[in-house]
Amino acid sequence: MAISAYIVPQATRSAIVMALALAVPCALIGLFGSNPMITTVTNFLIMLIAVSALGLFSGNSGILSFGHCAFMALGAQISATLTIPPALKKTAFPLLADPILQSQFGLVMALLASVLIVGLIAYLIGLAICRLNGSSATIATLGLLIIVESLIVAAQGFTRGNQAVYGIPKLATWPVALAFAIGTIVIARLYRDSRVGLLLRAARENHAAAQSIGIDIPAQRQVAWVASAMLSALAGALLAHFLTVFSAKQFYFDLAFAIIVMQVVGGLSSVAGSVAGAVLVTAAIEMLRRLENGIDFGLFQVPQIFGLTQIGLCLIVLAILYTRREGLMGFAEIDRFLPFLRKREELATEAAAPTQARPTGTLTLEKVSKAYGGLLAVAEVDLELRVGEVLGLIGPNGSGKTTLLGCIAGTHAPSGGRVRIDDIDITGHPAHEVARQGIGRTFQNIRLFAHMTAAENVMAALTQRWPQLGHAELVRRSRHLLDELKIADLAEREAGTLAYGQQRRLEIARALALEPRFLLLDEPAAGMNESETADLLGILGWLVKDRGLGLLVVDHDMQLIMRLCDRIAVLNKGQLIALGSAAEVQASRAVREAYLGRRHAEVIT
Amino acid sequence: MAKNIGKYGALLATIMAVAPFCAAQAQDAIKIGFVGGFTGYLAPYDQPTLQGIELAVEQINKAGGIDGKQIELISRDMRSDTAQAAVTAQEVVDQGVQVMIAPCDVDPAVATGQITQAAQIPTIAACASTPILPGMVGDYMFANYTADNLQATALADYALEQGYKNALVLLSRDTPYTEMLPRYFATVFEKKGGTVAATLEFKMGQQDFSAEVTKIKELSPAPDVVMTAAYEPDFPAFIRQLRSAGITAPVLGSDGIDSPTTLELGEVAEGVVFSNAGYPTPGSALEKFNADFKAHFGEEPSAIFTATGYDVIKVVEAAVKATGGNLEGPALRDAIDNLENVAVATGSITYKGMNRVPLRVVALNKVQGGQKVHVANVTPNGADVPPAQ
Repeated sequence: MAISAYIVPQATRSAIVMALALAVPCALIGLFGSNPMITTVTNFLIMLIAVSALGLFSGNSGILSFGHCAFMALGAQISATLTIPPALKKTAFPLLADPILQSQFGLVMALLASVLIVGLIAYLIGLAICRLNGSSATIATLGLLIIVESLIVAAQGFTRGNQAVYGIPKLATWPVALAFAIGTIVIARLYRDSRVGLLLRAARENHAAAQSIGIDIPAQRQVAWVASAMLSALAGALLAHFLTVFSAKQFYFDLAFAIIVMQVVGGLSSVAGSVAGAVLVTAAIEMLRRLENGIDFGLFQVPQIFGLTQIGLCLIVLAILYTRREGLMGFAEIDRFLPFLRKREELATEAAAPTQARPTGTLTLEKVSKAYGGLLAVAEVDLELRVGEVLGLIGPNGSGKTTLLGCIAGTHAPSGGRVRIDDIDITGHPAHEVARQGIGRTFQNIRLFAHMTAAENVMAALTQRWPQLGHAELVRRSRHLLDELKIADLAEREAGTLAYGQQRRLEIARALALEPRFLLLDEPAAGMNESETADLLGILGWLVKDRGLGLLVVDHDMQLIMRLCDRIAVLNKGQLIALGSAAEVQASRAVREAYLGRRHAEVIT
Repeated sequence: MAKNIGKYGALLATIMAVAPFCAAQAQDAIKIGFVGGFTGYLAPYDQPTLQGIELAVEQINKAGGIDGKQIELISRDMRSDTAQAAVTAQEVVDQGVQVMIAPCDVDPAVATGQITQAAQIPTIAACASTPILPGMVGDYMFANYTADNLQATALADYALEQGYKNALVLLSRDTPYTEMLPRYFATVFEKKGGTVAATLEFKMGQQDFSAEVTKIKELSPAPDVVMTAAYEPDFPAFIRQLRSAGITAPVLGSDGIDSPTTLELGEVAEGVVFSNAGYPTPGSALEKFNADFKAHFGEEPSAIFTATGYDVIKVVEAAVKATGGNLEGPALRDAIDNLENVAVATGSITYKGMNRVPLRVVALNKVQGGQKVHVANVTPNGADVPPAQ
């Protein structure tokens, strides 16, 4: 395992700059500021930990979470329980076991315990929540928040129930909060560019494409979920040691919304965004609440108006989201605005391109069927695809081509039959496992990781396939692949901003990063003009001849199919009605009937 | 944008320039701070409290102040946020207040109290009703509002007086108020010879009370009285379902149901008795307060918290008079702690011997024909009030 795949130099520089930008003003206020200012800064730093923790999961996975507030609540409960003096503890938590009642721990031990216990709890909950996608996952985190709050209230005796927990030692001073805030943003920033962060961001950008390069999405979410839960627990515990009093309702929807607002205003998918959001909201509140108390201008007076802070803050948030829909920072880190952070990594001396043995093997379909209720979309199809050959799959609209492709790629579970690579049965395996067996794919409507750079698109696949590779090697190999597809100069561009033909090339480069034996191409020429199509033909020919891959190509462009394919399979109404060379298929009466209808087919015959 | 920054800069500069003058001008005044939740979930409590406080300050200042000293009130919004309460409290303390008034909920009141306790500034929580609050902070923290255990004692005394022997208690663990007030009631009721037949629990907002009502119906012997601290929307739902099940046992409630909704419930609420912090009987101080309030603000008081807010200032006035104008923290604290029978808007207040949770009048009221009818003003015996938990 290469440590440099986790601690990427550019991310490290970016994290250090952010840490300094945070540390200097906070330390100045801490050393020279008034008490209220120090209190405000400490509160800000703790909120920043909470926001960065949420961002680590939500920003990279794309799943908004209310549940992190629940982890804060648990962190606060555990840390408070361990640090309250024994005399007070006896009346506050009468049901606790004696060893806990009689002991009192310091801040470090208490934080460590809350972080570890919450990590374990989050791991168990994550097993369920990380399997859910999109809004159902968000709703599940909402449920988590409600359940945890109810449990804390119900567990009176072990907790304080609905009453305030008090007598918590005030241990979260500003240097403590600052140290942990720096630690948190460094972790969040390093995670984002690390190989695990890359894999999770890929999954956020496109679920199906991530699976197609072998990413086990729930497993990647689980990593971020547990890490962010632990950091949330830290934030909660620090908040408890800062306020010294809290009740269950402190860690509920109000706080969850406050954290989410900071993250969304700053930019949901960026660590710099977490910092920007927390700074902006805090600064706006501090400015507005001073205006709120009324001002004497000499000539006229503005009276004290309560509520100005809330209203003003809402207006600022609305204005920002109106002008910048993805928040202040959007998907960007500070690196984008500070070129010196981006200086090219010293690449390892250009070694020879990794020598790849020509792949071997045969992909075999045996009586593969897929039924939707009574409808048989694919009916007992037998096919073979060898390495080094191009098999075309054609058929009228609705004939089951894409479904059959899905049955191979693992996005659809076949209802009958078997899919094998040599002797390995991959029938019904999840898409990411099929990919790991050496089957790459591209999609009918190109599916890239749009907010990631072209290089990152390829690197995600590379690091998935070769977890032991270090960062420099990932960069080098990704350049090599992009170069092979003639898009090396676009490496640092966001994938979503590329032209159509370039996007298709990138999609192929990404699939090749897996070193697949077989490549499934779903309408690769759809929407392409003639020169783009010719271009594509060149690439596909190279894949077969030079790389020795087996291609399965679905397309409506008959010219392309006839020119490219060694053999052509024709599907109609889910059934394989012809299989053979271009000439054989063209001569088939069944094929013509399928495309033209029986009467026309007869006329032509 | 740059223009706006300039504008705000000018505003901030103005504030900074003006602030020292404000401080200087008030050398000889009594400075009272009020850190309140004037926005957010505490606004329905802290806003009326502020009105009452402002009225009291104005009346006293117009009459020449306390022993010649004017009162200067510094009120700041902590937006119902505990962390902000600590920040705001520190700022107000830094302005040199001699007395602090804390917000209406326990968490921010404790956060405020910890700042003032360290600065030795006597602090009064205007309307938090949890009696453990002063104990949570220390010897500079005082409660003001009718504490839950005091109210419960008044209700238990009333129940026993009526000859009820067998009580049913309905509580919810969702808030300290809905849980502890009925528990305090049960403690006093049992200690004085009553029996609690059953304690049932509900979830706030559950609407369907059929399970609870069925359990009450099955009780044998049937309870003589049903006691709860439920309020809207739980109380109306509960009493409708209770009455429609044919249970006629009298119902006792607390100040949570002191609202027009209860009076508008019609037949089902008839005869419900509930406690609150005061009733404006003819000739009472509360009646005068209500009239003064209307004259000053042009509207009826929206809640009893206006009057209890007024009370806080009357307590401060009595304490300052007792120290002979000494505004030092320890002297003021001791003075408040020894106050007895201070005449306030809601009746009278005694701190002496009460561990900083005042003994004050509890009014009992009955719903009769859609009207709130006064039953009695009672001041429970301090020894009967159960210890705060």
